[in-house]
Amino acid sequence: MQRRDFISLALGGAAVAGSGAMVSCSGDGEHGSGLQAFRSLETVYDANGKRKIPWQNWSGYLHSYPDKRITPSDEAELAQILQSAASPIRPAGASHSFTPLVPTDGSLLSLRKFSGMSSYDPKAMTATFGAGTRIGSVGAPLDAVGQALPNMPDIDEQTLAGAMATATHGSGHSLPALHGQVESLRLVAANGEVIDCSNTRNSEVFNAALVSMGSLGVVTQYTLKNMASYKLKRKTWIAPFDEFVDGFADMVKQYHSLEFYYIPYCDYVLAVGMTMTDDPVSPRTEDGDNDAVMELKLLRDTLGWWPGLRRWVANRAVKSETLQENVDTWYKIYPSERAVRFNEMEYHLPREAMAEALRRVRQTIEGNNLPIFFPVEVRAVAQDDAWLSPFYQRESCSIAAHRIFSEDPMDYFPLIEPIYQDYEGRPHWAKMNTMTKETFAARYPRWQDFSQVRAQLDPQGKMLNPYLKSLFL
Amino acid sequence: MLTTDKNTIHIAKNVKVLLVFLLGLTLLASVGCHGRSANYSEEEKQRAASLMPSDPELAALYNQTCKSCHAAALGGAPLTGSERVWRPRMTKGEDVLLNHTIDGYGGMPPLGACTDCGEEEFIALIRFMAGVEQ
Repeated sequence: MQRRDFISLALGGAAVAGSGAMVSCSGDGEHGSGLQAFRSLETVYDANGKRKIPWQNWSGYLHSYPDKRITPSDEAELAQILQSAASPIRPAGASHSFTPLVPTDGSLLSLRKFSGMSSYDPKAMTATFGAGTRIGSVGAPLDAVGQALPNMPDIDEQTLAGAMATATHGSGHSLPALHGQVESLRLVAANGEVIDCSNTRNSEVFNAALVSMGSLGVVTQYTLKNMASYKLKRKTWIAPFDEFVDGFADMVKQYHSLEFYYIPYCDYVLAVGMTMTDDPVSPRTEDGDNDAVMELKLLRDTLGWWPGLRRWVANRAVKSETLQENVDTWYKIYPSERAVRFNEMEYHLPREAMAEALRRVRQTIEGNNLPIFFPVEVRAVAQDDAWLSPFYQRESCSIAAHRIFSEDPMDYFPLIEPIYQDYEGRPHWAKMNTMTKETFAARYPRWQDFSQVRAQLDPQGKMLNPYLKSLFL
Repeated sequence: MLTTDKNTIHIAKNVKVLLVFLLGLTLLASVGCHGRSANYSEEEKQRAASLMPSDPELAALYNQTCKSCHAAALGGAPLTGSERVWRPRMTKGEDVLLNHTIDGYGGMPPLGACTDCGEEEFIALIRFMAGVEQ
């Protein structure tokens, strides 16, 4: 079973369940927190009676009404825009963030014209891409010149800029997040400077800009450190919860990439492991099947009131699982299509804290009979040195909880978030959390250094919307 | 578009068998969310797959956001270039189509998967798909 497919299916079941519909309520309206009550999208008209086009994120939870939409064609135009456009100036990639990084009533900036591979170096095994390139558009041109990303997130809709800016990651014992693969980048800073930087050139700006939520200016291109193209064998299997969770720390070292899903109200996890291979290609298949969605809908809707029976059915169902194996070129193996929208909270914890924290998450869900059916995703990420990387000098495990877009995350995520605080958790920058500036500063040793660079490059705070102001001012 | 594979179906079938056994329910009675097909001809489908806006910037936008569904009529999306299915929609007025795009409609997500598009871009994309590119 494909893990994201499973999630899609599970979500689809809830989508048609019609239960637990999200309640619209009034929030603070200022987008000043990483987790806030949902507010319905209103129809807004301009002075001429024309409907204003909203921006909203992928899940539909966040929205705003930008005064201007700007799509610069080159760096000179971009630099001019950063001088003159109404603030907050917020770059939007694929709008997959669940924290209010993008909402602006000023200028919404698109990097879609900064797209594609502009050059590559076969000796250095590097390639340069426009920052607006979708991750899903990186694989084919890179493979065509014999190169490959060492790792990829499972979702490939995001732009490189959006993914890097929020420390988006895949899974693997020794594999860092995507920004850990950056050799150099070019930043058009909010103060108008164009800065090429790397570990050896403008290294302070480099370490600040790698993960910076678009708060320093706009990154226009990344040069990626790659490796020779390879094939991956992707296996999925079911394993007993306790055995797998306790063995994960050792097992993850045996795979190029390994992750798993805790399935609520089930005694088994779904594991997904990838290894490099020379085996013949056996492509991943996709098959739209609404029947399966309806079965999973029925499991929650029909047996949610009787957790014991729900568990018995789930265990019986998954125990008959058989091993699934596919082999293909790297970029055709990593990503999984996600069809149904959700909101998400993900925290990155010290690697050794995962097992205990996950058990507490499980106890919170099942001990309170929360109506959660969406598997909780667990991944491993290697440390790196970007100042605001959640993996800054810490080997990490990530625990990601999801809730379908039509159900209220506020009656789920706040119940599990305190667990992560006990382990000095650092939230994914794009995923819901309630952490404040003071707590972030305590968990990021280079927070003040970043703040100083930010103040130099954007002294007027043009790039800061209310949420970012709450973090950096 | 939901995706699955054989193992997922195995789970689903086992759940189904057990639920039928336990609860005596008739399952799948409420399955009915397939998009309605407009019975496009092979010629229409082939043409839709090859059509692209003449403006390269609009073509890039179409390719990134609309094409995956509208060039294959997935999820009930009206097929690109099929004037017979677009004509009744266009007669409702472009404001109606624009509102549907903003709010989402049928299988189409809000803002038609282009969260940074503005009105001009949405209208240009609608006109291209409706076969009335200026």
